[in-house]
Amino acid sequence: MNSPIFLTGYGQTKFGEWWDKGLRDLAEEAMTAAITNANIPSTAVDMIIVGNMIGELGSDQAHLGSLVSSLLPHHPPALRVEAACASGSVALHTACALLESNRAKTVLVLGAEKMTDASTEAIAAALMGAADSEKDRPSGLTFPGIFGLIAARYMHEYGLTREDLSLVSAVHHRQAVENPFAQFRSEISPEHISCSSPISDPLRLLDCSPITDGAAACILSTTCQSSIRIAASQLATDTLSISDRPSITSFTATQKAFQEALQEAGITRDDIACLETHDCFSIAAVINMEDLGFAECGEGIEIYRKIFENPEASPFAVNRSGGLKACGHPVGATGIKQVIDTAKYLKTTNTRFGAAHNFGGAGATCCLHILEHTAL
Amino acid sequence: MPDSSPVAHRHARQVQKNMQQGTIVSFTTVRHPPAGFPVQPRVIALITLDDASMILAPITSGAPMIGARVFPRMQLSRINENHLRLYDIAFEVLTPKSVPLDVSFPGYLLALTGPSGVGKTTISRQLVSMFATHTENVPILTTRKPKKGDDGEYKYISKKEFEIMRARGEIVAAVDLPSRSEERSYGYLATDIEAIWHKGMLPVVITEMHLLESLAMHYGRRSILSFGLLPPGRSKRAMLSALLHRLRTRGRETEEAMQDRLQNAERDLAFFKEREDLFDHLITNDNLDSVMALFQQKVPSLQEA
Repeated sequence: MNSPIFLTGYGQTKFGEWWDKGLRDLAEEAMTAAITNANIPSTAVDMIIVGNMIGELGSDQAHLGSLVSSLLPHHPPALRVEAACASGSVALHTACALLESNRAKTVLVLGAEKMTDASTEAIAAALMGAADSEKDRPSGLTFPGIFGLIAARYMHEYGLTREDLSLVSAVHHRQAVENPFAQFRSEISPEHISCSSPISDPLRLLDCSPITDGAAACILSTTCQSSIRIAASQLATDTLSISDRPSITSFTATQKAFQEALQEAGITRDDIACLETHDCFSIAAVINMEDLGFAECGEGIEIYRKIFENPEASPFAVNRSGGLKACGHPVGATGIKQVIDTAKYLKTTNTRFGAAHNFGGAGATCCLHILEHTAL
Repeated sequence: MPDSSPVAHRHARQVQKNMQQGTIVSFTTVRHPPAGFPVQPRVIALITLDDASMILAPITSGAPMIGARVFPRMQLSRINENHLRLYDIAFEVLTPKSVPLDVSFPGYLLALTGPSGVGKTTISRQLVSMFATHTENVPILTTRKPKKGDDGEYKYISKKEFEIMRARGEIVAAVDLPSRSEERSYGYLATDIEAIWHKGMLPVVITEMHLLESLAMHYGRRSILSFGLLPPGRSKRAMLSALLHRLRTRGRETEEAMQDRLQNAERDLAFFKEREDLFDHLITNDNLDSVMALFQQKVPSLQEA
């Protein structure tokens, strides 16, 4: 970071299925919560970045920059960014660039997604937009299908079992019990996960993050100080289609983004006290542990096994919020929610560094943020 | 719109280059295929094609496995909103049939085919005497009565015995040839042929068109090194007159029987042409020494003799 960027405030809606809230309502609720939390006048916001993926298909609404700007009395300049499931973190990355270049001093970054107004088929088709429409879609593949292919290959290469995989969602559900904003706050046993209905083999229903409504917002500022600072913001990209990659059992964008983020923050992996990782499907969480360098290839599951057996045994916290699986995955809001949960963890445990790892598609876009907590 | 006609048109242009065999990298069964596709669970694989590019495509038959070979087919994929039938590549897993491993190739037969009088018996006798340690004649089973001039190449049995053996499957090739007086059956005993193989020798069979066909059916065409023997002569006429000359010199038969044989010979000569596939070599029998030299050259097991 060229200049210190502070996470001045944050707020979010409870994630879930909100029949009585539209895209605008969700955005307003999160924005208000963030501004209140930051304890600044709303007119201090001099720019808005909105992260959203399927506004057009889920709510017949494009032009989300203006939609959100309309909610503030002074209608600050606003733009929308889209990078599939990484839309939220890429919005944060965009905000960092504007702040670093001094284009803005205080930016409202808002991620919002309204997914339950349209039919499940329509949402599934819209999410498939995160894959390659010419190379992936004509085969009849769905997004769970893509991760089914990844999981099947991973199991073939490393001998991961169905029972192992169930530990991931079990850990996430258990950790979400404490999170008032999570969509699902109940423990689920690995056995129950293993026998949930099949979606795309070997993945089952409880391996997949749900369809969720929700919004999350952050106030990033170079002037309004706080105890949380953005220590690194890195973006990396890979091929859109998995059929263009030499390997489907690791995501190079994750490796690259984290490497560079650690470098930017000037720290090592061991300094990370907590991690919010992108577990859109259980297999993704296992692969992320390896790509982020916390486990050797084929051994990502060991971290989850350790946490499942004894939550305190892991040297760093993983998805304490419940991850995408249990919190819900309102696509454009997830990347921002991860940063919020990381900040909360650092504050409550009084630890220093935390990382938020968010990716889009099958790891085609990866955006990583490292937060530093310093007692003021 | 994802399946609009121009999109389908652009996609179709890509299809041809992907019509290759490949290997499954991974596969999954999508339980709820997207709208527009058949509702049944859909097996989709990531496949490395033989040109090293990769493709995502459905597997329509066979049991997929990572590492299995797949073969491309064009299949109806879906029907778009304009009722355009969209075809796309789908792959099939071909499971190889298991072959029992203890079956070994027993050996091969040397078959001599040709019209009466062309010299089959003479040649086979010469072969067996020249290469006594390598070849042996297969006796011909027959239901006809012994005749003067038969030279040990026949085993005579009754029609009843023949039918019993045939019913038991002991006769590997059989033919019923009607003659003026009676129906005659000819054939070979499997045990005769196999006994020669067991000795490590090459069975020599004197045969005719029907027997050759059924031998090929029984042992497989590749188990027979098949020689067609032609009488000397450039034209069919010359060949037939050469045959007639030999038959007369042999002096075994009546003029009437010889005319019959000549008619059959004409058919035999036509058979060489019709069933070219049943013959490896066609040899003109003009000089016994040169024919023998030719055999030694063409028959692998005689080359070292």
